[in-house]
Amino acid sequence: MDSFVSEPRPASYETLSNNVLKRERRARERQVREEEKKKVTTNKIPENQRQQVANDDTMDPTQFLSNRIKSLALLKESGVNPYPHKFDISMSITEFIDKYRSLYVGEHVENTEISLAGRILNKRSSSSKLYFYDLHGNGAKIQVMADARHSDMDENEFCKYHSGVKRGDIVGICGFPGKSQRGELSIFPRSLVVLTPCLHMLPRHAITSNSDEAQSKKKTRNHSWTPGITRNPETYILRDQETRYRQRYLDLMLNSEVQKIFRTRAKIISYSRDFLDNLGFIEVETPAMTMTAGGAAARPFITHHNELDMKLYMRISPELYLKKLVVGGLDRVYEIGKVFRNEGMNLTHLPEFTMFEFYMAYADYNDLMDIIEKLLSGMVKELTGSHKIKYHGNGFDSEPVEIDFTPPFRRIDLIEELESRANLSIPKDLSSETANKFLLEACEKFDVKCPAPHTTTRLLDKLVGHFLEETCINPTFIINHPEIMSPLAKWHRSKPGLTERFELFVNKRELCNAYTELNDPQVQRQRFAEQLKDRQLGDDEAMVLDESFCSCLEYGLPPTAGLGMGIDRLAMLLTDSPNVKEVILFPAMKPQD
Amino acid sequence: MEGLKVWRLSSSIARPSNLRQLFGLGTSSGLVRCLDNGAAAANATNTRFPSRNRRASTSTSTSTNTSDREAVRAIRLKKVEQLRSKGTEPYGYKWDRSHSAKELQEIYKDLNNGEELDSESHHVSIAGRIVARRAFGKLAFLTLRDDSGTIQLYCEKERLLNDQFEQLKTLVDIGDILGASGSIKRTEKGELSVKVDSFSILTKSLLPLPDKFHGLTDIDKRYRQRYVDMIANPEVADIFRKRAKIMREIRKTVESRGFVEVETPVLQGAAGGAEARPFVTYHNSLGRDLYLRIATELHLKRMLVGGFEKVYEIGRIFRNEGISTRHNPEFTTIEMYEAYSDYQSMMDMAEEIVTQCALEVNGKLTIDYQGTEIQLQRPWRRETMHNLVKEVTGVDFTELEDDLKVAKDVVLKAVGLGLDSKDKSSIEACPSLGHLLNEVFEIFVEPKLLQPTFVLDYPIEISPLAKPHRRHAGLTERFELFICGRELANAFSELTDPLDQRARLEQQVRQHNKKRAEAVSVTDGTGEQKNIDEDSMYEVTLDDDFLTALEYGMPPASGMGLGIDRLVMLLTDSASIRDVIAFPVLKISQ
Repeated sequence: MDSFVSEPRPASYETLSNNVLKRERRARERQVREEEKKKVTTNKIPENQRQQVANDDTMDPTQFLSNRIKSLALLKESGVNPYPHKFDISMSITEFIDKYRSLYVGEHVENTEISLAGRILNKRSSSSKLYFYDLHGNGAKIQVMADARHSDMDENEFCKYHSGVKRGDIVGICGFPGKSQRGELSIFPRSLVVLTPCLHMLPRHAITSNSDEAQSKKKTRNHSWTPGITRNPETYILRDQETRYRQRYLDLMLNSEVQKIFRTRAKIISYSRDFLDNLGFIEVETPAMTMTAGGAAARPFITHHNELDMKLYMRISPELYLKKLVVGGLDRVYEIGKVFRNEGMNLTHLPEFTMFEFYMAYADYNDLMDIIEKLLSGMVKELTGSHKIKYHGNGFDSEPVEIDFTPPFRRIDLIEELESRANLSIPKDLSSETANKFLLEACEKFDVKCPAPHTTTRLLDKLVGHFLEETCINPTFIINHPEIMSPLAKWHRSKPGLTERFELFVNKRELCNAYTELNDPQVQRQRFAEQLKDRQLGDDEAMVLDESFCSCLEYGLPPTAGLGMGIDRLAMLLTDSPNVKEVILFPAMKPQD
Repeated sequence: MEGLKVWRLSSSIARPSNLRQLFGLGTSSGLVRCLDNGAAAANATNTRFPSRNRRASTSTSTSTNTSDREAVRAIRLKKVEQLRSKGTEPYGYKWDRSHSAKELQEIYKDLNNGEELDSESHHVSIAGRIVARRAFGKLAFLTLRDDSGTIQLYCEKERLLNDQFEQLKTLVDIGDILGASGSIKRTEKGELSVKVDSFSILTKSLLPLPDKFHGLTDIDKRYRQRYVDMIANPEVADIFRKRAKIMREIRKTVESRGFVEVETPVLQGAAGGAEARPFVTYHNSLGRDLYLRIATELHLKRMLVGGFEKVYEIGRIFRNEGISTRHNPEFTTIEMYEAYSDYQSMMDMAEEIVTQCALEVNGKLTIDYQGTEIQLQRPWRRETMHNLVKEVTGVDFTELEDDLKVAKDVVLKAVGLGLDSKDKSSIEACPSLGHLLNEVFEIFVEPKLLQPTFVLDYPIEISPLAKPHRRHAGLTERFELFICGRELANAFSELTDPLDQRARLEQQVRQHNKKRAEAVSVTDGTGEQKNIDEDSMYEVTLDDDFLTALEYGMPPASGMGLGIDRLVMLLTDSASIRDVIAFPVLKISQ
């Protein structure tokens, strides 16, 4: 960064001989160096400029706002539209960097005219005739070196205009590319125009002392974040979590890594789409508002259609509709879409989240384990360049863990593993009273908390959480869940009482849930009936009967395997985000007082 | 089920070491399950009967079928039991297909009639639903349909193991899902067939498929039980395949231009970005009402403020309004925003998206929509709203003075004869010249815009989020794209001035509250008029956070919203939006 260093004036008189030019340049460079030394010792900024920057910095934010509004009003009165309609850019900042990154130090390409636009996030000046700006756009940044000598404006105009340009303004620039003496790729404007003024003062880096600032800048520059490595939001310009989430645009604007989080999220989704499209899957859309909320165990949002005078639920899962489409003859379908659950919010749960579900006729859960292994390991490799990622699984305060996505993933059998880890011999008939009593005692013995109601399903779930999920840092399939825990999964072909189901755990959290789909309509009805029993015991997360789904099964669902994966959770892993709000652009927040 | 694989001739997966054990367990648990199921099914049937009877009594077309259905169901349930008692699981676990029906039809399209290919390399395996069946003494023909098409199963008694042929005749019904393997043969009649040497019932269907001639006349049922519609009419499934293709093509087109896909919230504290009645729901743990989004616009613009230069979202929008052949309460749009561009560049983008999709789905740019030939060749007509209104009605709005009353008289004089009373009163109710222009446009011009037309420069009064026109006062830089008399896209140079935006949104809220207050007073006075203005009985609030975002500065930009359901309707020649939405919202069935 060329802070406060003036640049040599480039040779613009083509009639002069090369030697003269060289001499001139050297002289100027010497002069610049001397000036530079002087500045470093005398706190860098010329008096009048320091004053002005300081004024903007220390000004009361409301004062800043009203000043800007006033100056806009003046502009409008004088017939100038402070919000021009269009600015033609000839390339993006990223393209500019790609094209001119190989210029040599000090080179200027004066015969090229380029127009760029972006937001100014840093403004410095070494005199009223030379301004430096950092221009940001679409996640990239270059320097702007506005020198009155290159400008189409006369000097007075130039001084006046640039003193009115504020940090945060969006500007359009026509000029030529070059590299500064310090090797910083820059654009040298012939003209610079404010396209959209920023009416508010932008937050600044909170670090006060200059040496600290320099150091931290150095650090952040070396540490350009990419998926798979750790982040440190403590180094962000805007650090307050509430503000970051409530005013995401500020977060995106000021914290350069944040844009990359959402670009990574977009890549995760498009990688998943391409992967399934290549296997012959088609993307479909099923209703987000439905007459019954089925396919999962969760409390739904309720709404009302006025004209039809009809109660509607927001979907808690697209599962039942997707299976209906398989019945209808679409053998391989998937949907990526929002799902809604009317539940509390915490680090991993928000009321709306993005679910990725796919269903594949004539396949079983073994096939899906292979497919998801391939999808995830391939994606991690593509996005991070490796199969191993670093993740602050226990929050930014603790050391990050390493998670290895190298296939094949570990597979553990739920009951067998639980029995061996806890040294238990669980009764085979899990629907029995004996089993319930046994598990309740086991929970007490190991001090595993399970709030009422103490249904066998819930007790088992808590024990599995305690003994198995805790061991799953690297991707691990927990397989063959009991029937009572899995009302939509098919009974295991060889293990009575169990189902052909797996859950994929990564960093102790469920990422995927999949099974060979239950397609016997009679057994499905019976499973719903058992869920009803749990509901009557007070488990309001037990699934409700969906009659239209059962009668659909009577037309025949081919042998099918299906999988659901939480996109937000996957995005959390690949962007080192311990909090789900880091990967959702506009997360639901508690109302402000 | 492993037992099933033993029974198949070519079991490649079963491991003999634990076969006996598996078989034993499988059978006994199967039996237990059957007994349990019997009881459960009986219960279920009892509870279901009232509803079935009710439907039967109101719908004469299905009344005769109901008892048939139950009879068929009972017979097939017996077959399920029979199969299980023989150790065969009627709901299989998996089937490895070597080919789809279409692939076979392609590979063997040159096979001569009567020719057979019996070598190992022509041994194939397929799976699908049985949709037709003819059985003779020692020979049976089944038509199997999968995702890709159909193929015949040629089943000879002596080629099948044990009693498989008998099972085929007695236990397999139309509607069952079968896996079959065998060699390739084209019959003397020219039908490409798989000459079956083993098969298994993968899914026993319990209900009969509707017969071609009667079952599908019930439109309501087609939408309610879309899967039945799809089984009976394979072309219905094609619409959803095309829909997927269109979505993919749209994404491809915009992503190749550098747009990034993002997701903005569905549940919001205030629903903005359009004028529509929102759905309301309640979040328990937050203890507050939330609205379902009616547009993605305001959040996507925040992304531009945040420094993204090209973003888009394809997502569900919800509007609490009536249903029709053009409206479903939830529908899908793409909204896209591009910094440093204006509405002119968005017109190019709209042309690009629609033509790319048309080529992908139909392979050509001249398409037929409900009997009208539509020419999608670029460039499309671009004409201002003023000129179109003048062209159709003869009224030149540029010559009208600012007097609204006079303007209405001029309009009514020019076009009054062709108006029904409803249109007449809506013209008289127009609160501004801009509204009047738009009303005349909607009544007279819209239906005539069959060929693709960009309608440009809308009045400012009806365009609260669009930038004022750079040359014409009172107008905005906005266009709507019309094809077949329907609005397909809506776009503007975005309003970036936060003060102007605040004033316009405040005006919108004021207008809405006024309407609302009028509606309340009307309903207070005479209860019977309740329906008149219930449309405006919802609350509209100012999205202050959006305005704050604009104060931080949004670059000059253009944005467009395009209705994907309508685009799919156009490109699949579908008359109703319900034909392109897999599970449309329907009235509660009586």
